[in-house]
Amino acid sequence: MTPPLSPAPPRDPLYYDFFGIDEELLRRVFAELMGHGADYGDLYFEQSRRSSISMEDGIISRASSSVDRGVGVRAVVGDQTGYAYSEDLDLQSMLQAARTAASIARGGGGAPPQGFARREFADLYAIPHAWEDVEVATILPLVAHIDATCRRLDPAITKVSVTWANADSRVLVVTSEGFAQADRRPMGLVAASVTAEKDGQVQSGSANLSARHGVEHFDTARLDEMCRKAVDRTMILFEARKPPAGELPVVLAAGASGILLHEAIGHGMEADFNRKGTSIFSTMIDKKVAADCVTIVDSALHPHERGALNFDDEGNATERTVLVEQGTMRSYLHDRLSAKHYGIPSTGSGRRQSFRHAPMPRMRCTYMENGPHSREEIIASVDRGIIAETFTNGQVAIGAGDFTFYIKNGWLIEHGKITAPIKDVNIIGNGPEALGRITMVADDLAIDSGGWTCGKDGQSVPVSQGLPTALVSKLTVGGEDA
Amino acid sequence: MPELRDELLEQARRAVDLAERAGADDVVAGVGWVHGFEHEWREGKLEKVQETKSRGLGLSLYVDGRYSSHSTNDQDPTRLADFVAQAVALTRHLEPDPHRRITPPELYAGRSEVDLELVDPALLDLSRERRVEWCRELERAAQADDRVISVTAGVNDGHSVSARVSSNGFEGTSESTSLWLIGQVSAEDGEKRPEAYAYAGGAHLAGLPGASELGDDLLGRVRERIGAAKIPSLRTRLVLHSEAAASFLGRVLGALSGGAIQQKRSFLAGKLGERIGSELLTWTDDPLKPRGLGSRHFDGEGIAAKPLPILEQGVLRHYYVDTYYGNKLGWAPTTGGSSNVTWAHGPRDLEAIVADTQDGILLTTWLGGNANMTTGDFSFGFQGRRLSGGARAESLTEMNVSGNYRELLERLVEVGNDPRPWSRFAAPTLVFEDVQFSGL
Repeated sequence: MTPPLSPAPPRDPLYYDFFGIDEELLRRVFAELMGHGADYGDLYFEQSRRSSISMEDGIISRASSSVDRGVGVRAVVGDQTGYAYSEDLDLQSMLQAARTAASIARGGGGAPPQGFARREFADLYAIPHAWEDVEVATILPLVAHIDATCRRLDPAITKVSVTWANADSRVLVVTSEGFAQADRRPMGLVAASVTAEKDGQVQSGSANLSARHGVEHFDTARLDEMCRKAVDRTMILFEARKPPAGELPVVLAAGASGILLHEAIGHGMEADFNRKGTSIFSTMIDKKVAADCVTIVDSALHPHERGALNFDDEGNATERTVLVEQGTMRSYLHDRLSAKHYGIPSTGSGRRQSFRHAPMPRMRCTYMENGPHSREEIIASVDRGIIAETFTNGQVAIGAGDFTFYIKNGWLIEHGKITAPIKDVNIIGNGPEALGRITMVADDLAIDSGGWTCGKDGQSVPVSQGLPTALVSKLTVGGEDA
Repeated sequence: MPELRDELLEQARRAVDLAERAGADDVVAGVGWVHGFEHEWREGKLEKVQETKSRGLGLSLYVDGRYSSHSTNDQDPTRLADFVAQAVALTRHLEPDPHRRITPPELYAGRSEVDLELVDPALLDLSRERRVEWCRELERAAQADDRVISVTAGVNDGHSVSARVSSNGFEGTSESTSLWLIGQVSAEDGEKRPEAYAYAGGAHLAGLPGASELGDDLLGRVRERIGAAKIPSLRTRLVLHSEAAASFLGRVLGALSGGAIQQKRSFLAGKLGERIGSELLTWTDDPLKPRGLGSRHFDGEGIAAKPLPILEQGVLRHYYVDTYYGNKLGWAPTTGGSSNVTWAHGPRDLEAIVADTQDGILLTTWLGGNANMTTGDFSFGFQGRRLSGGARAESLTEMNVSGNYRELLERLVEVGNDPRPWSRFAAPTLVFEDVQFSGL
């Protein structure tokens, strides 16, 4: 899984020139930041360029672009954090931000670092052409192709809107421990939304495709598949109904169903909640919570996935973290603060939305390893239940453990066979209980290719998720009359 | 801060000028400035202090019948000039869109000058000690139960100023302060650790509950969660707490936007002038409400703000229509988005309604779920209480409520008189008959 080390960039490997800074400036900022008793500090320089193009009603009628640039300055004393940022990268502005961040500490001066050693990492998302260098003329025909493809797939499609968005972020993390590392993080996302009209009824649906890839990834084969998904998901809604209300067996189709893991266990395993004792998993490490066929992983190492990270937003090495190993709880997801609290190394899970935010433990790419069953066996085992295929929203109450996700498309299972389509239904369950009720896991793991974004405490970060087909023996389905 | 308003206005004028010189036919420039602090307190000490200080420029460009929008926070003059030149060049690559025209100046006219009272000078120089004292008070009140595991108290305050200038004659500025008190608590409940949240905020300090009052409320909320469980699926009366009502009915505003109507993604398309629900539904968009969290003299396009009837006794009177979708639909623009939405109130509050409910469910907190606004179908997770014989009974969790907005709006049988003052969408307690809940 680990790709080879890429050759060092020839010039400006730490983006000092790009951000207009040098070691002397960094030393002075750290002197201010660490001069009041902080036991750790870091600077997070970032410039993100984003652009998007939209097509609606057959016209490529809107484009947008943005530049967001600044530095986040953090001081840590024990488990206390002082944070400020500056959008101006001159010395005086940065010193002022450092003073604000340092004000969390009340004490004498520590020794600031005198130099900054560069650490190298594998490159999980090297691309041939940076998004910044891609001509808009390259993208326009692809956008038009998506529009035309969706319309061609079914004559009932009356509205199509297409959004093409990409981002190119340069990041530099410098720490009071004397390390510096830089990263360039690409992201592409394409989405199609369609509306169809049939027999006086209107239905709408969508699909998207996202990765830390360049424009080459978004070829017509992949775009056509996305269009097909958007149209199929919409057209099936004309026949779909709500399933019965109440507790039912729920089969999760391979792929996007990883949302179950994200909500039912992922958030609860973020160590900040456990450090504070507010997660239902706070006392469950090394306890058996699920069947042997259940192994759940959160990894940053899947090349080009949305959740891929060469190093985390605190400069720590990223890894493949096993949350549940053959049914036993193994590790939380740690940032620097929680790792220090527990006296173990960070799992490289410290992430932030931008330089305006302090990092916290977050998921990256969360999935379940393959199990011993087949999809067919699992469906055949269900007498009366549902299979869930596409999703739009999930949430969890960390302490009570109650989690939800919303099924946009799925099917009824009756007497071991897939029968009628279902739609628009919320599923609710309890994390530890649901883990214990995963009775079958198939051998068809798929990481979803969609553009998942996770929100926590007002910060959004890109994530990935995946699942093999799996059976949860009982969850509450928000349908109609039981 | 009149000097800062003038400075931002001047920056916006320069940006319009820059874009015009780069070849744009019409330009709208907005400059926003924000300064704020977040204080987070836990276990008797400050856990996090964060300062926020931002200044950014946004540009809308109309070039040869084409349109684009851009933003940057890079103040460097050379890089800004490059950015604008590239933005204009990018726009030329797009296709002409006959409906994309700058907002006509007649819609800027008649702007109210009423004082919206959005700035509280007392919030401009809060001390850390004062903020910490609020945190302590909130924490103390919320900890008054042995089962409490963790309390986090937060104070977020800020000051923002913005200016907007268009090449066809619009100029305007706005300024506001804000203060939010936030509490989060977790309590022991066997294997579970249920949590609860409470918050209050506004543009002014006056009118907010005291920090210890909010702490009491927070503790009450988490106590109510202890021992929560699900019950068998049922259809019964739904009593919707005002806080939960605001987010649930606020979604209907999305279905009233010109974009959703024109793109046929709204169950309320084609309903103008028709009754879409109970006669108890009367909503007014009120942008000029003093101290309102959504108050404004002009909207995001510069359209002069004025009260707008949305629903009158269940009849749909207006959509939210901006210039672009107005052009596409062939309708006159109203305003692009909601400001403060006020409701016609009924005679009673939550407690009086609970006392009068023989059988029902009081829904207090949402958990996940979603709605399909094309069809009106919804399905949400929730927490709440069973109501029985005029009193609160079992605490409920891990349940869903499902239905269709179209049908639900018909089943509204009572509107309370108790909206949360810090919600832009000021829904009071609401009562709906015959609603589907799923549990065991």
